[in-house]
Amino acid sequence: MNFEHCIRCTICVENCPVFRVNPDFPGPKQAGPDAERFRSHREKTVDDWVLLCSQCKRCEMSCPCGVEPAQIILRAQQRYGMEHPYSPAHLLFANNYYLSGLGSLTAPLANRIAATATGKKIFNAMGIATTIPFPKFSFRTLKKQKKVRGRSVRKVAFFYGCFINFYRPDIGRKIIQILSALNVDVVLPPQWCCGLPALGNGNLTLARSFALKNAASLADYIDAGYDILYSCTSCGLCLLEDYQEILEIPQAKKIAEHSYDLHEYILKIINDDDIQLEFGQVGRKLAYHIPCHLRALKIGYPAAKLMRRIPGLTCEILDDACCGLSGSYGFKKSNEGTARQLGERAVLLIQKTGAEAIVADCGSCRMQLSGHSGMPAFDPAEILFESLGLEQKNRAKK
Amino acid sequence: MSVVEYDIVVIGAGVAGLTAGARLAEHGYRVALVTTGEPTACLSTGCIDLCANGARPLYAARELPREHPLHLVSDTDIAEAFGRFLEVMRERGRVYTGSLEHNRCVLSALGTLKTTCLTPAGMAASPQSDNEVIRIITFSGLKDFYPKYILSRFAHASFSSYDAGASTTMGIASRLERDEYLEAFIVWLEKLDIRENKIGLPAVLGMKNTAEVIRRIESRLERPVFEIPTLPPSMPGRRLFNDLKDHFRNKGGDIFWSWPVVGVEKAGGLIEAVFTRTEGKPNSLNARAFVLATGSFVGGGLTATRQTITENVFDLPVHVPSGREGWFDEDYFSPDHRIGKVGVCVDSSFRPEHSHWENIFVCGGILAHAQILKNGCGHGLSLATGYAAAGSCAEYLK
Repeated sequence: MNFEHCIRCTICVENCPVFRVNPDFPGPKQAGPDAERFRSHREKTVDDWVLLCSQCKRCEMSCPCGVEPAQIILRAQQRYGMEHPYSPAHLLFANNYYLSGLGSLTAPLANRIAATATGKKIFNAMGIATTIPFPKFSFRTLKKQKKVRGRSVRKVAFFYGCFINFYRPDIGRKIIQILSALNVDVVLPPQWCCGLPALGNGNLTLARSFALKNAASLADYIDAGYDILYSCTSCGLCLLEDYQEILEIPQAKKIAEHSYDLHEYILKIINDDDIQLEFGQVGRKLAYHIPCHLRALKIGYPAAKLMRRIPGLTCEILDDACCGLSGSYGFKKSNEGTARQLGERAVLLIQKTGAEAIVADCGSCRMQLSGHSGMPAFDPAEILFESLGLEQKNRAKK
Repeated sequence: MSVVEYDIVVIGAGVAGLTAGARLAEHGYRVALVTTGEPTACLSTGCIDLCANGARPLYAARELPREHPLHLVSDTDIAEAFGRFLEVMRERGRVYTGSLEHNRCVLSALGTLKTTCLTPAGMAASPQSDNEVIRIITFSGLKDFYPKYILSRFAHASFSSYDAGASTTMGIASRLERDEYLEAFIVWLEKLDIRENKIGLPAVLGMKNTAEVIRRIESRLERPVFEIPTLPPSMPGRRLFNDLKDHFRNKGGDIFWSWPVVGVEKAGGLIEAVFTRTEGKPNSLNARAFVLATGSFVGGGLTATRQTITENVFDLPVHVPSGREGWFDEDYFSPDHRIGKVGVCVDSSFRPEHSHWENIFVCGGILAHAQILKNGCGHGLSLATGYAAAGSCAEYLK
């Protein structure tokens, strides 16, 4: 639907987390469909406030007319990025993949520097906020994991994404074990950053180069009979949506047709093969913070459906609040206040549930929410892993 | 393809869809609710009208023309639907005032008194006649709210203006939920030395905790405070939607956002599944029964072209007054435009007439002959028919 379908009802504005706390952002209606009428390709863009949109896509989810304000704004952001010099923070975060690679190689040193006062000062000088601690680099990235192959009928290529690879490879390993326990063969295809951080920082060229490499790699696996699996909801949304719409990647349609969210896939095979999974007791009281990009995937909340089957687990779904971090967005000094206020609000809602821990599919949501609340934050896969008793089975094997 | 199985799929997240969905979930059915975006209920005043043609809503409803859809709902069912609604809202800390016996008045932003049946807590103290002595408080820069409209119709009214540092209803509402802002506002109010009997404000008293904000102002100012509904973004409409949505989810319902139904799978006299538009693999929901609650034109249930009017999901037969010239009245402001009668005709079990689908149940604003503007029956019609259609659907699934 194009911007002409907007009936100006303002429901998107009501749903915009940034608009709520930052008076400099005119809201998705004005920044999207309204301003689009005045954007001329003959004139240089001057609206620097388009960069204030965090691309949470809540406006698109709420529009009763199917207009996509976030995508209109995303295009405007790319144009702004092309026509103006990048700030150091924008450049750094667009290249997060390479930086993180470096960080992981030198993990012990990099982690220590990032935590020092001098380190923080340097970050601040570059326009990077240090409200919540940076995630810690992991030396043993998931990329270095040896491949798991069997003779199962079901084969998946796991697009694990940068967060799992560089910061939390342990979650990646757990996911692989869950899938193996379900008799699914898992391979780790050659892969790069999905491209979303580059897009989010207005660097269309870089995003496209990442996407082209990934697409070529993933398409080969699809041709060989693999399904693509992602567990990071933002990577997933980028693969499914941005590869087709913004980045115009030739193999995008094929990838979208064969990609599944991890939990969506698990539900699917449980359903198709009539598998009776034995969920063990997990005595936890959790608040399930729904990442904005999980909503935007339009697949419902599959992890919630799985967790509902776990005995002893209480898990309240919260999908009204954006955590405010939006990947690198909240790490920029200019968005620090926005991210902090939204984070505090999301945490308040979580605390009201009386939960003892947070669960969220998105690494950056978890980082933000546990950073602001001091509560532990889990990936749903970790809870699943615990319930399926894979920890004990591992130990028994050893 | 991702196929998900449910007992019932409800299409539409408005008052009718959420009411029907919650009732079915309470019966123990697995209910999915799909919606293109957020409903027009978010744009409403949050008041529940049943029939505004007289002092007694239920009595007036019974005087409506024979073909009006409210006649499909028994007195007992209307009473139960309203009773259940009041109960649910009370549990969520949102006390509604009013009964099926007496209509009430709500002051509009134009200074007129509008008739309605149930009013949210914020409007309980709304003046019941234009003789009342009131002080209006507005906020500087707030768009579309001009107290002088009210002053022109009230003999004993005056107004003052407060600078809240924000000029949108959302911005002010979220600020007033923060202690320090609210305190500063109350102190300013105290200095005004208000002598009038009641204090009226645009509906910005908190996004969620309205009762608490009002209680604090009333206890310090020692006089009743009431909210005046605004143009969108409308906080009372949003509060109503959020509460109904949370209630539906607490009963175990799943919500799929941004999920317009673009295709339907049929077999014999049954609908078997609905599809949505996705970037890749088709996304479908299977169910044994479907509740259609998509609203009329603005809600997205009906589309009018020059020649005809169609129902958007199942292509059900639509009752259209003959001849396009017969759709409209001469007078633009007439409440009697016959296009208000357009909609889907149903039998006493809420199944669509002149179609052979056994498992579709229709409720809410899409029903033919409703003439919501003329009869003042919005939301109440949705509550009553949503509740009754759910009953009929549950009966069918037994």
